[in-house]
Amino acid sequence: MSKPGAGTGAGGRPRVFFVDDHALFRSGVRSELGDQVEVVGEADDVEPAIALIAECVPDVVLLDVHLPGGGGQAVVTAIKDSYPQVRFLALSASDAPEDVIATIRAGARGYVTKTISGPGLVDAVRRVAAGDAVFSPMLAGFVLDAFAVLPPESAHRPAFDPELDQLTPREREVLRLIARGYTYKEIARELYLSVKTVESHVSSVLRKLQLSTRHQLTRWATERRLN
Amino acid sequence: MATRVHDSVLQTLALIQRRATEPQQVIQLARAQERELRSWLFGGRAPGSMDERGLTLAAGIRLIQQEVEAQHGVAVEAVTVGDCDLDDDLGALLAAAREATVNAVKWSGAEVVSIFAEVEPARVSVFVRDRGRGFDPAAVPGDRKGLAESVHARMARRGGSSAVRSVQGEGTEVSLTMPRALGTRQPSRA
Repeated sequence: MSKPGAGTGAGGRPRVFFVDDHALFRSGVRSELGDQVEVVGEADDVEPAIALIAECVPDVVLLDVHLPGGGGQAVVTAIKDSYPQVRFLALSASDAPEDVIATIRAGARGYVTKTISGPGLVDAVRRVAAGDAVFSPMLAGFVLDAFAVLPPESAHRPAFDPELDQLTPREREVLRLIARGYTYKEIARELYLSVKTVESHVSSVLRKLQLSTRHQLTRWATERRLN
Repeated sequence: MATRVHDSVLQTLALIQRRATEPQQVIQLARAQERELRSWLFGGRAPGSMDERGLTLAAGIRLIQQEVEAQHGVAVEAVTVGDCDLDDDLGALLAAAREATVNAVKWSGAEVVSIFAEVEPARVSVFVRDRGRGFDPAAVPGDRKGLAESVHARMARRGGSSAVRSVQGEGTEVSLTMPRALGTRQPSRA
């Protein structure tokens, strides 16, 4: 599937831009990614990242959600309208959910933790470059929690949109398996679906996560931080 | 009850400092304290105490994660969805989850073991997964089978169920499910 921006690197490798304030971590990830992707640039903070991403228009930006000059979502917000072909994959060491949710809601297509394996990260970058969504087990758990049973009063709120504010039973099943550490391929096998169908369920959950007005999403993320 | 436990731990720590030159005594003190804490945490109440809030399920899972990581030096990732207070059945579920986790850490050879726990209105499920060497549950006697049997017995005694799925070269997943007792279905804290 050829999508704008995807596969423009040499040999069809995704062109990756890397934003993280720790130089040591950047070099570690660079060596893990090896020649599987083409790293076209790096930045250590919000402002230089925005300037450089606009210059080299990568396929995927690997984005630390915590930067000295603000959250990673500032980078997404500044870039996404002018360069819709640039896709963002959030990368975080901590599990502070409100930052992760904020980055996803700003427009990132996925989230992985910094403990992810090298091959796992390469796979996640490829998926995001192809326009799919990537959820870590932790994020899948967050989403199941945030979209848990609706309190009765919500049903009466005019802002409630059942299309966006609820997960389908199938989406829940897929998220549960992601939370259990299954790959898309393993989920497909388990649920007798094609990998393509699994991908489309995850993309649909991502869309809900980005567009839902459920107040639980923000309230829940704030509460969780206290734990 | 938290005060009771803190007192007991502080007293032990003070004793350990005074006997720092007697390693055998220090080990014994530490072990005894560990046992006491464990029975409090996993029994859901302090010894001799019947009241107040114990640990919640999610806190119990986090504790397993931290303890097993600290004791065995293998990364344990834990994701929990929902939460509820512990009762004896769920204490047994946590004990089984801990056993499955320790076993995975010891025998699978995997660098990371993942726990997923979900609290639903009618049941609590825990999955312990590794991408280690795996084994054939039907064909392999010995430690791994011992685990499957002891975990199974622990769960069955409380009306729960367990299953082990393992593929050689791909890893193992232990699934544990405990029905929730009527009357305890509402978490005491939202």
